[in-house]
Amino acid sequence: MAGIYIKIFMIIMFITGILLWNLFNISWKYYNALQAFHILGSLVIMLILIIPFVHRHVYIYGVKKKVKSINGWFLGFIFLLITVSGFYLFIVGNRGGDIYGNYSYYLHLYGSFILMFLFFYHIKKSNTKYVELILVLTVSFYPHLLKAYKTKLILLKIDNNISKYHNEDWTSSAKCKVCHNDIFNQWADSNHKNLVDSNPYYMVMEGLAGEVEGDEFRQWCMGCHNPSAVTTGLKKSTHRMHRNFLANTLFEKGAQTLQDDFKHHKNSRLEEGVSCVACHRITKIDSYGNASYTIDLNRKKYAFEDSKSDTGQWLSQKFINSKPKIHKQSYSKNIYKKSSYCASCHDETSPKTGKKIVSTFEEWKKSPYNDAKNPQKHKDCVDCHMTNLKDGKFTPLKGTSTSGGEIKKDIKVHYFSGSNYFLAGLKNKKNREQTIQLLRTSAKLDVDIKNNQVEVGVKNVGAGHSLPTGVADFRELWLDITLKNKDGEIIFSSGKLKKNGNLGKDARPFMKVFGDKDGKPVGLLFWRYEKLLSDTRIKAGQRRVLKYNIKDKKKIKYPLHIVVKLNFRIYPQWVTDAVQKMYPQLPSPDVIVLNKVIKSF
Amino acid sequence: MKNYLLFSFVVTIITLIIILSLPNLLPVRKLKIYNSDNELRKDALAKGMLSVPKDYKELLKIKDNYKLTREKIALGKELYFDTNLSKNSDISCATCHVISKDKKYHNNAILNGLSSADSIDERKNCIACHLRDESGVDRFSNAIGEDAKEDPFHLNTMTILNSSLAKNLTWSAKNISVEDEAGFSITSIYKMNMPSSLLVKRLKNSNIYVKKFNKAFKNNSGTDAVNFLNIQQSIGAYVRTLLTRGAYDKFLDGNNSAISATAKKGLADFINLGCKGCHVGMSVGGQVIKKFPLKAFFSIEALNFKTPFVSSNDDFPFENIGGFLGKDNRHLFRVPILRNVTKTSPYFHNGSVPKIREAVSIMGKHQLGIELSDTQIDELVAFLKTLEGNIVDYSKDGK
Repeated sequence: MAGIYIKIFMIIMFITGILLWNLFNISWKYYNALQAFHILGSLVIMLILIIPFVHRHVYIYGVKKKVKSINGWFLGFIFLLITVSGFYLFIVGNRGGDIYGNYSYYLHLYGSFILMFLFFYHIKKSNTKYVELILVLTVSFYPHLLKAYKTKLILLKIDNNISKYHNEDWTSSAKCKVCHNDIFNQWADSNHKNLVDSNPYYMVMEGLAGEVEGDEFRQWCMGCHNPSAVTTGLKKSTHRMHRNFLANTLFEKGAQTLQDDFKHHKNSRLEEGVSCVACHRITKIDSYGNASYTIDLNRKKYAFEDSKSDTGQWLSQKFINSKPKIHKQSYSKNIYKKSSYCASCHDETSPKTGKKIVSTFEEWKKSPYNDAKNPQKHKDCVDCHMTNLKDGKFTPLKGTSTSGGEIKKDIKVHYFSGSNYFLAGLKNKKNREQTIQLLRTSAKLDVDIKNNQVEVGVKNVGAGHSLPTGVADFRELWLDITLKNKDGEIIFSSGKLKKNGNLGKDARPFMKVFGDKDGKPVGLLFWRYEKLLSDTRIKAGQRRVLKYNIKDKKKIKYPLHIVVKLNFRIYPQWVTDAVQKMYPQLPSPDVIVLNKVIKSF
Repeated sequence: MKNYLLFSFVVTIITLIIILSLPNLLPVRKLKIYNSDNELRKDALAKGMLSVPKDYKELLKIKDNYKLTREKIALGKELYFDTNLSKNSDISCATCHVISKDKKYHNNAILNGLSSADSIDERKNCIACHLRDESGVDRFSNAIGEDAKEDPFHLNTMTILNSSLAKNLTWSAKNISVEDEAGFSITSIYKMNMPSSLLVKRLKNSNIYVKKFNKAFKNNSGTDAVNFLNIQQSIGAYVRTLLTRGAYDKFLDGNNSAISATAKKGLADFINLGCKGCHVGMSVGGQVIKKFPLKAFFSIEALNFKTPFVSSNDDFPFENIGGFLGKDNRHLFRVPILRNVTKTSPYFHNGSVPKIREAVSIMGKHQLGIELSDTQIDELVAFLKTLEGNIVDYSKDGK
């Protein structure tokens, strides 16, 4: 009697397995349930049915009756191979990193045909075929079995009818860490992760915007900074508290708070900020800035992906690894490598005045780096901002993006190096170092002294956009000059910081200055920008010469000794001063030297 | 052997079928469906839901409010914001029960804070953003009293807004009036730590206060009107005016468009799932004392390797910081006031639950014994949002 069940199950497992084959391309709705059924079913049957049966069968026919069946032994061997490869696919997976995953896959697939052939050959004496067939059909179409899978295990939603998402739809980035550990760690201390509660500047600015312009205005900030909150209907960004204190998200490494949240609350606790899913589930972009992208969280999910239990989580990971193709497809799109993709946030227009505040993408479009006809010269955002740097040079990182995955020549690193060395650096030295290295590739200095004038040329050699770009009214890039005569006396200096940390009036920073409708500087309320008061930024490829007069000509005694530094600071001190009132624990950003020339004349 | 195999096979199949079909076999609870907004309102009003009075005349009609006078209220407001009521003169009632004395200030708190030359101290830098919430709490997870003393049981501050409508006050569910509670808060070591005799002495030294007390309590001369009972009376009088009105009240008053369709569904859920059984009255809570957690909740989702079953040793479905076990250590709590609940996170007595959705889910599991669906939680939260309101200005009409 047991033989019949063995046969039924072998056939079921064969059919369910074969249906998973790419050849059939069955709809995802059935695929993920089928995959879970196939793997778990095989496992259960192996343990309770097949192992005892084989044991008994071999004992009776091999040991007791001493039947010499080559076919039987061969069947057993193939069966072992199928089992081993199946277990390998389940436990280790076919992630691309090792060739065994691939071997297992093909062995499991093609081996099953041989197995079935041998199997039927082995049992051809049996005359219960029709009974089997009927049983197979009844069991596989047992209504409760299938209906239960549809309603419980597959939590499908129709995207078109959704007006807002639930917290649970936003898969926590901490979940991605299990397999994408390195990428997670790079991102965790990057500026993309730390756009909301761990960024005091943002929290103060959003609060201020809400107070000055009305709470509705916060949505403008949140579109790019906090998409998960916007899509779940939150009206403002929130900060994590640890009892009575702000959670230590400012200095913590590796997004520990997020990981703890995920451990205890799974996806029910919303992850704010730009998470993995926030970028990797963007399906459409419009490149207008101001969050002009479409997010679609409905993706093909493997069975148990949404489970709140650890067991379910573990199983879903195994299911993904055994056939990662769908997983990859649902998180990666070709547009992600294009600059137009980044443009959906890295251009910014004030909804109050309609003026462009940030125009990084537009700057890039006009730059020599946007040259689609010439692939040698053409560089997209990711070619600089997501490429690994080593010793000041772009050094594509060789390795895997998934633990155990295939080795790639150029891993797109997720440090998101840009200009904010400071906030990322509070968490992780590595992130700071990557950003500083990138900044240092951007400009070159040349110095000359002619006609009692110091002439300094600054050339934007590396950036595919203006220097500085982004929120260019909050970025400080300036020249720090010290000129000494032969007696060692300082006869000229410029760009020194004042005692209160602010830049002196003599400095000529490369920046934009925004004015409101009356032409007064906007200060912190940058969205009120209407009139451009000045723009001294250096465009891509441009060389700017600054001339400084040496007033006290009598003191010019050769040889002269000059030190010129190109300094950069992410936020002016007066901005930091304001933020520190709300966040006293925030240190002041340091000044970094992008380039330095020491010369004697 | 054959029988054994057959048996194991049959048992497995049956178990699988039962487990997988459970969601389809369990009975679905049928909830009442309202055909119109008016029907919903009618049911809500019939269940004792009431809107907060719009004007001073109606305010006086509320139980125990007949004694209110304009003078007492004005004096109470002065005292409420006076830091001299604490021993070190460092905190006032408004330090923990945060509201602003003047709306002009709270509308520009961040801007003022950023542009002022002085640094903002740690307690106030939260206020800069949260003052506009008008929540009547400091939003800390435990109360902090005079001289930065923390509450020994890690209990948090309750909102003072609408508290005069409640029958029971504080986490230990004392059946007292707001006047009495004001007195306790002033003298309690972990709150304002102010001996009553010292406070009376302090206030007697101030001519302004003596005049105001004489006026409020109709005393012609001398300083007899400045006594602890009158201090309690006047603060209580002010607290009785700290009532909030919001979209919910407008809906109850007959405005169908005051709350969204989702919130209406939430209100229906609130009535039909059983929430309103405890959160009753004009204050939507605060009237009865109930056990929490009422039920241990078991779900198949909670099954995993580490915690096979919900541990029966846990006192609460969240971290038990402070070890407080309710009234008489019997897990008895005052059912909290739900007005403004969306502005008063973190939740529960020790502030262990920071988010409203989680709090709603816990209430569903442990008080109602049901696992609320995501949509139900959405609707309930949308309804709770309509309970948000601003403090009603009772100064305008009536005498």
